[in-house]
Amino acid sequence: MTAIQVEDLWKKFKIPHEKRTTILENLAGVLQILDRERFSYEEFWALKDINFTVESGEFIGIIGENGSGKTTLLEIITRILRADKGKVTVKGKVAPILQLGVGFHPELTVKENVIIYGSIMGLKNKAIKRRMDSILQFAELERFKDAKLKNLSSGMQVRLGFSVAIETDPDIFLIDEALAVGDIDFQQKCIEQFKEFKSRHKTILFVSHALSLAKEFCEKTMLLSNGEIIEFGRTEEVINHYLNRARKP
Amino acid sequence: MKRQSGAHSLLEYSELVRNLTVKEFKLRYRNSVLGFIWSLLNPLAMMVILTLVFSTLFRAGIENFPVFLLPPLLAWRFFSISTSMSLSSILGNASLVTKVYFPRWLLVLSSNLANLIGSSLEFAVLFPLLIYMGMKVTVLTFFLPIILMFEFMLIIGISFILAALNVYYSDFNQIWDITLQLGFFLCPIIYGMGLIPERYLLVYSLNPMTRVIEAIRKILYHNVLPTLADFMIVLVSGLILVLAGYFIFSRLEPGFAEEI
Repeated sequence: MTAIQVEDLWKKFKIPHEKRTTILENLAGVLQILDRERFSYEEFWALKDINFTVESGEFIGIIGENGSGKTTLLEIITRILRADKGKVTVKGKVAPILQLGVGFHPELTVKENVIIYGSIMGLKNKAIKRRMDSILQFAELERFKDAKLKNLSSGMQVRLGFSVAIETDPDIFLIDEALAVGDIDFQQKCIEQFKEFKSRHKTILFVSHALSLAKEFCEKTMLLSNGEIIEFGRTEEVINHYLNRARKP
Repeated sequence: MKRQSGAHSLLEYSELVRNLTVKEFKLRYRNSVLGFIWSLLNPLAMMVILTLVFSTLFRAGIENFPVFLLPPLLAWRFFSISTSMSLSSILGNASLVTKVYFPRWLLVLSSNLANLIGSSLEFAVLFPLLIYMGMKVTVLTFFLPIILMFEFMLIIGISFILAALNVYYSDFNQIWDITLQLGFFLCPIIYGMGLIPERYLLVYSLNPMTRVIEAIRKILYHNVLPTLADFMIVLVSGLILVLAGYFIFSRLEPGFAEEI
């Protein structure tokens, strides 16, 4: 069964030469009253003609230089960003774990955030309360359950994000460099968790610069460069390719 | 990408709406000692000052000015606070909007629901005071929640528009601030409709907020039934605003995460 299908996907960002946020500035930009240079922008294609399919139960690694479009791709699959062209079909519940947290409010406490996030992911309040202890336990944050999120360290926030996402029991995980912030113990725990996902036939898209992790878990890996898929195939080969490209002067 | 219809997602996300509304409430009064009491002190202070100004300085000659003023003032506060807080209902939740997908209009709805609860509490707590000051409670009082629900539709519609546009243009903060200041004097809050010259009366009374305030004053101060026109103008403009607001909002929604 197909979990994610991406067809002919294009995504453009505008890079303004100076940011415009008031109506006057925009009017001036449109009418070109003020100097052109200041109000013009460049188009930047972050993703170009992306096509691929992920079967459910597959673990896919996504690698590539900084700015190659990895995060943008995940953000479009989760519907946070809109594509300029193309079609994305996703079957099943998606839990994105993007850099630093999963959608938390800094002024709310750990527990309050778990409740909000849980209900965004479609859990009933009763179910969230039932799972609260195991979420806090996995994140090792029992002591901090009434602390405001902004007072937690970045590692703690990622731990919380990870454990709350796991407990909402999604079909598809989109993980963006989340593990890099956690300590060794937590990384080890996540790896155990990955193994369990694998046995339960979950789908994962895994963006990482930790190539050893990709090698260990992903049958297939996608190499992105400048918004294009350079290669999508067996992890070993793609990673070797990537390393060879990097070594070139 | 497939989009869910509004009504469907409201059912599916009813607990989320509840949780977000509770969150709004908590954040509003967090780190504040008096909390909700501020919401009562504010209109009361306004009432005392305006009563002093209008019964001693200007001698407007309105009988029982506090009862004349306070209910319309509360209704106006409901409108102005809800709409101006909705300006930040997307921007203020940037950490959610940029990290996870859910229908963004639920944020606007829950911000407004928190204000609906707040304003209902204001009315409820200040009601005994109004009765003590000579307000009569009659069968007509039943129409108060109805007119407030109609007002809520106006608020929701305007909030959709403001919340969405403010993501793209921060000017709307200022624009709306000025609009509300003007609105306070353009609606018959501190004066009665009788002061409006006849030839302006038609245009003046097309403003739905004028009708809300007039209807509330008729119910609680004059103890007469509001006219059908009062109800219809608020209801129809409410419906139009909700539909137009939702349309504008859903057009702009896909770009929110990028613009924030």
